[in-house]
Amino acid sequence: MQTGSSGEVRSVVGATDTRGKHRISAELKRLEQETRFLEEEFEQLEKLERASASCKELLINIETRPDPLLPVTNGPVNPTWDRWFEGPQESSGCR
Amino acid sequence: MSVAELKERHMAATETVNSLRDRLRQQRLLLLDTDVAGYARSQGKTPVTFGPTDLVCCRTLQGHTGKVHSLDWTPERNRIVSASQDGRLIVWNALTSQKTHAIKLPCAWVMTCAFSPNGQSVACGGLDSMCSIFNLNTQTDNDGSMPVSRMLSGHKGYVSSCQYVPDEDTHLITASGDHTCVLWDITTGLRTSVFGGEFQSGHTSDVVSVSINGSNSRMFVSGSCDSTARLWDTRVASRAVRTFHGHEGDVNTVKFFPDGNRFGTGSDDGTCRLFDIRTGHQLQVYNQPHGDNEAPHVTSIAFSISGRLLFAGYTNGDCYVWDTLLAQVVLDLGSLQNSHDGRISCLGLSADGSALCTGSWDTNLKTTSVDK
Repeated sequence: MQTGSSGEVRSVVGATDTRGKHRISAELKRLEQETRFLEEEFEQLEKLERASASCKELLINIETRPDPLLPVTNGPVNPTWDRWFEGPQESSGCR
Repeated sequence: MSVAELKERHMAATETVNSLRDRLRQQRLLLLDTDVAGYARSQGKTPVTFGPTDLVCCRTLQGHTGKVHSLDWTPERNRIVSASQDGRLIVWNALTSQKTHAIKLPCAWVMTCAFSPNGQSVACGGLDSMCSIFNLNTQTDNDGSMPVSRMLSGHKGYVSSCQYVPDEDTHLITASGDHTCVLWDITTGLRTSVFGGEFQSGHTSDVVSVSINGSNSRMFVSGSCDSTARLWDTRVASRAVRTFHGHEGDVNTVKFFPDGNRFGTGSDDGTCRLFDIRTGHQLQVYNQPHGDNEAPHVTSIAFSISGRLLFAGYTNGDCYVWDTLLAQVVLDLGSLQNSHDGRISCLGLSADGSALCTGSWDTNLKTTSVDK
């Protein structure tokens, strides 16, 4: 079987298909297995929470973590974040 | 059963699968009561704003003589390994810009590289279909050649992506053009598990990206030319935990979100997407309209350490900084002074999140940070 860009399965079995019995049988088994997986997923869908619940959790997680690449962020701030802008360490030199 | 009967059953089974997929898609749509941007707006959130001197390029790492294909940071902050079309791995101290190693590879066609958790080894792979491990404490020859400390062979196609399992110097995961991902035991050189492939349910085309969950290293996600991303549990190789549909082109890059419960993707369809691993929901699409022109493909993504920013590199040299919450582009690093002169092929965040490194077809790597 082949999967198109939208995820649709196209049957390549047709009048001109010359593949042997074993190949078609193996693909049939895979399709039957896929059917079982999809049916399982369908059952799980009943108990699934809505997207808004995930979005809420996402927002909380983002806002509680300090982020050095944000212009404004919650603390604690780590001074080593600024090491990219500190000059080279010289063993001797005019200071 | 005759071939004709088998063919009939095959066609019927195909129809059943397609119809089930359709119904699942419809049911899922009913659960998508909002996306991230809609929810964030409802909570009064406003986009991140950068001043003109906030995010600046602080280092340019020059040394490769060919396109940079891949880069990886060490967990201990300042070192980067990069792989290039010039057939070399270079290990950099990103703070001083110095090269500590320049390894000439036995196979020049390298596509991916990774640092081990302890920072003592690097792994790389490419068109030779193998993953080679180098111990950085080994001496190189005058021409830069270094003996390989372990060769991981078994893939039947190119190795597109590799990552060490966090905190495990002895295990890594590869993604391959042979449609599989493999978990390797480096001490023995053997495959511990093969995910997908001819006899198992998995990707139906080349796998080009892999990302391991930093919060739960038994879970990893893979991106493929079959337009899907798949979530795997390393204990269950026979089938993916979940398959994520939505993209309309190759999924070139996948990256776990910092909280470990979501992951991002980037694709040839020009969009990035955010998926939830527990529910399978597509939470957000990050799409910048391009008018009539074909949208540039997304080559690589990374999240800032809180997840508020999504960095995305594109084939036209753009490097967008997306506000993950509001789904808006807040900066284009490609338009800044001193930016790359070509496609961004790879990017990655330092372990403490204080710097982003980008690698480009212009042969350079650049680190970007916020100047406070």
